[in-house]
Amino acid sequence: MTDHIQPGMPCAEVEALLAEAIDGTLHGASLAAFEAHRDSCPACRTMVEEASRGMHWLKGLDEVEPPRNLVHNILALTIGQLPEPHPVVVSRGEGWLERLQGKASSIFAPVVTPRFAMSLGMAFFSITMLLSIAGFHVADLRNVDLSAKGVTKAYYAAETRVVRYYENIRLVYEIETRVRDLRRAATPANDQQQQQQQQQRTAPQNNQPKGDDQQDKDRRNQNYNREMGRPSLAESPASSNQVMDEVNSQARLNRRKA
Amino acid sequence: MDDAQAVNALVRRCVAGDAAAWQEIVQQYHRRIYNICYRFSGSTEDASDLTQEVFIKMYRTLSTYDTSRAAFMTWVTTVTRNLLVDHFRKGKYDRVTDSLDAVPGGQDEGLTLAEKLEDPSATPEDRMQSQQAQKLVHQALAKLSPELREAVILRDLQDMDYKEIAIVLKVPEGTVKSRINRGRTELARVLQRNYRQVS
Repeated sequence: MTDHIQPGMPCAEVEALLAEAIDGTLHGASLAAFEAHRDSCPACRTMVEEASRGMHWLKGLDEVEPPRNLVHNILALTIGQLPEPHPVVVSRGEGWLERLQGKASSIFAPVVTPRFAMSLGMAFFSITMLLSIAGFHVADLRNVDLSAKGVTKAYYAAETRVVRYYENIRLVYEIETRVRDLRRAATPANDQQQQQQQQQRTAPQNNQPKGDDQQDKDRRNQNYNREMGRPSLAESPASSNQVMDEVNSQARLNRRKA
Repeated sequence: MDDAQAVNALVRRCVAGDAAAWQEIVQQYHRRIYNICYRFSGSTEDASDLTQEVFIKMYRTLSTYDTSRAAFMTWVTTVTRNLLVDHFRKGKYDRVTDSLDAVPGGQDEGLTLAEKLEDPSATPEDRMQSQQAQKLVHQALAKLSPELREAVILRDLQDMDYKEIAIVLKVPEGTVKSRINRGRTELARVLQRNYRQVS
């Protein structure tokens, strides 16, 4: 801009006062001289108009809203990088409560953070929800027998419940059945013959007097063999003939006596 | 207790290791810092990253803040400006928006930029036009040199006085006024050059 010589104020001074004049902080004689020069100098008038327009547009810009997670991100980035807490200088005039607060704040500063509070809250919420789902209520604690006998009883009751529950699960039952079928299918035929021979060899022992336990075992074996589709294997033919002979001889003796 | 004393007490608590005090500082100043970064860098992503970097830097250097030298707001703005200049020198944010040269959309025809800015929210249509005008001014701001841009941002967007701006920019007050004048004039010329209809 050419520096025109205008009455009252040179152009350079107008430029120096331009910011204050536009901002409204120029008053009195300076403002009057500025306006007089502006009205008489076309170049300075253009400059003032452009600067005013630029300021007007800039002032029209709204404040932008920061992202919602900005504060959280800043705290997450900085809260773990807290500078080493400087020793809190406590004046002698302060009471014990203020001193205690000063010491406590420096000690618990790393703990008393939003992140820690959030983690604690989430943990508490999770535990409470799990206990609620499991059917546990705080009020039930009053009825709990904490003596040794009561604890033992509760333990065995719980064990019984668990075992019963496990055995009654349909899936477990089906798996056991399937395993048994597979085992049966995998057993070769000669093994079955060997089992038959072994049972024949052990048959004479069956004629001996048996106790109740042995009879129960035999009955179970018989049932098992019946399930296996081989009911005739439960008792060997040899043992059957011996029994029949004994019965016949006993009948003969009875007839002679008679 | 006035504002300055309250802020100084807050800073002292923060330096002593009080996390709640730091959280309060972040809450109070993040909007201002974000706006400076946004107007200087020109994009929301860069502004978000830069704002986070500013606060990290503030955290590390908070103990160096001297209450007797300047207000905390001035110190915060100085930290922000120094970081912006560092990034600008690295060339990361040295880019000029060229979308100002694009022809405005058809719905803008018949309205001058001054008209768009004058009536901000009479109808939804006007509001949209105002938003478009703000976008144009924001893009024109990115066309200014960094020295002029930071001066007008601090003066016209952050309402700082010349003395505070001089402290932040580390230049005399006369230089501050000169940069503000040139920045405003340059902005008006950029807008006028690209949009002939500006009255």
